[in-house]
Amino acid sequence: MNIFFKDIENKRIVTWDFLIEDIINTSIYNPYCKSADYYNVFKQIILSLLLDEEIILLDSDFTESELINLIGYTDYSKFNNPINKSKVSILGNKKELIANLSNSPKYWKITLFTSGTTGIPKKVSHDFNSITRFVKVTERHKENIWGFAYNPTHMAGIQVFFQALLNGNSIIRLFGLDTKDIYAEITNNGITHISATPTFYRLLLPCNETFPSVERITSGGEKFNEKTFKQLNQVFPNAKITNVYASTEAGTLFASQNDIFSVQPEYENLIHFNNNELLIHKSLVGKTETNIDEWYNTGDIIEIVSKKPLKFRFVNRKSEMINVGGYKVNPHEVEEAILTLSGIKNVRVYPKQNSVLGNIICCEVVANCNQITESTIRKFLQSKIQEFKIPRIIHFVEEISTTRTGKLKRN
Amino acid sequence: MNIKMQEKILVIMNTVLENRTKEKLTSITPEMHLRNDIGFDSLDLAELTVRIEAEFDIDIFEDGIVNTVGEIFEKLERK
Repeated sequence: MNIFFKDIENKRIVTWDFLIEDIINTSIYNPYCKSADYYNVFKQIILSLLLDEEIILLDSDFTESELINLIGYTDYSKFNNPINKSKVSILGNKKELIANLSNSPKYWKITLFTSGTTGIPKKVSHDFNSITRFVKVTERHKENIWGFAYNPTHMAGIQVFFQALLNGNSIIRLFGLDTKDIYAEITNNGITHISATPTFYRLLLPCNETFPSVERITSGGEKFNEKTFKQLNQVFPNAKITNVYASTEAGTLFASQNDIFSVQPEYENLIHFNNNELLIHKSLVGKTETNIDEWYNTGDIIEIVSKKPLKFRFVNRKSEMINVGGYKVNPHEVEEAILTLSGIKNVRVYPKQNSVLGNIICCEVVANCNQITESTIRKFLQSKIQEFKIPRIIHFVEEISTTRTGKLKRN
Repeated sequence: MNIKMQEKILVIMNTVLENRTKEKLTSITPEMHLRNDIGFDSLDLAELTVRIEAEFDIDIFEDGIVNTVGEIFEKLERK
């Protein structure tokens, strides 16, 4: 198949030839990339690699206040730069393009934002080697057809993109489509590989049909339950189902067939446990603004199943981050945003377990005027933070419940 | 399904829609598809299940995703 990317939502089919022509005809490059069109994001990443320049990925739904917090401005058009044509004019075909991309760019880095632990999302940058550490380029992978089921500006999406790109695979958009369109795209394009959050798979079920083209199902970001696992096995009878452990800081680190993860021998010295918390060596972590020591604390609590060979399972998270359908939400960031609304005296943001998304965001609010309603808070927040961070249930209370130490209680 | 229950579901759905500044519904019928016809996304469905649970004490998505308004009615009737 000569398709590079297909997106029925935006009525786009992009062939590899079109992509190459489009790249050659592009005359301006801006390192900041904020676009709801997946193709634009992909093209921009490829351009940045060819130019060997940094690319900064911004979620398409970041609000103006979030942009100010993250990069300091909302208008980044001043960073538009003319493209040095000699770097892109030599592209002849798909093979040459891929060879050029894999030619380890020296200065290139990709920067993205992740929910920090202190309130404001933090910047994480990866170089080419760290972003492609787990990409497998082999003859066997050449014919893969990927169902793209992540946000393209997030770590998981970028990793799928590179796996597909460097093998010259086709990428078919599935994210954000209706269930019936997702199934139609899987059949029509003969999708062989899908990587997505458990929430994405949960929304596909139940289903009485089977899709034999799918060979591999990968999931991560939240715990997969037995029932979803069994149903997926029926819908995708030929698929091997794998769980991965990944983070924005380190990308994919471990994979497993069930909930027990084993460690590749070459990484055994690069992970470490302290009071059952998983620590990873700094050489596996992208560059962040705050310097990390020799070891990076993941905040994930594990239980060791066997020491030799090393096997473990994840128990829970030490951090307060709330996982909403695979997206991490920092309760402090949400609280800070709510407190900027006048009339709000105090707020507590907390998770509630949910059968659709794993968790949803709830909050308790102390308001000092009667005009504040659930709907005024929700509307106000729409201009402040991304939709998935906005509390879905808001309770008005006289006083916030706190823990004995005076800290706000989250559970 | 009694009329009162149907009306309560309509009110709950409209609360969810209004919170997302989406267009409200004037009526609901069993064949309406939650995502394709009403326009709920996964965040809305998550909110819907919590609000229905608070009112009727049943998690409609506990055994997998339901797709239509009629399937919600069935779950509530079976309770």
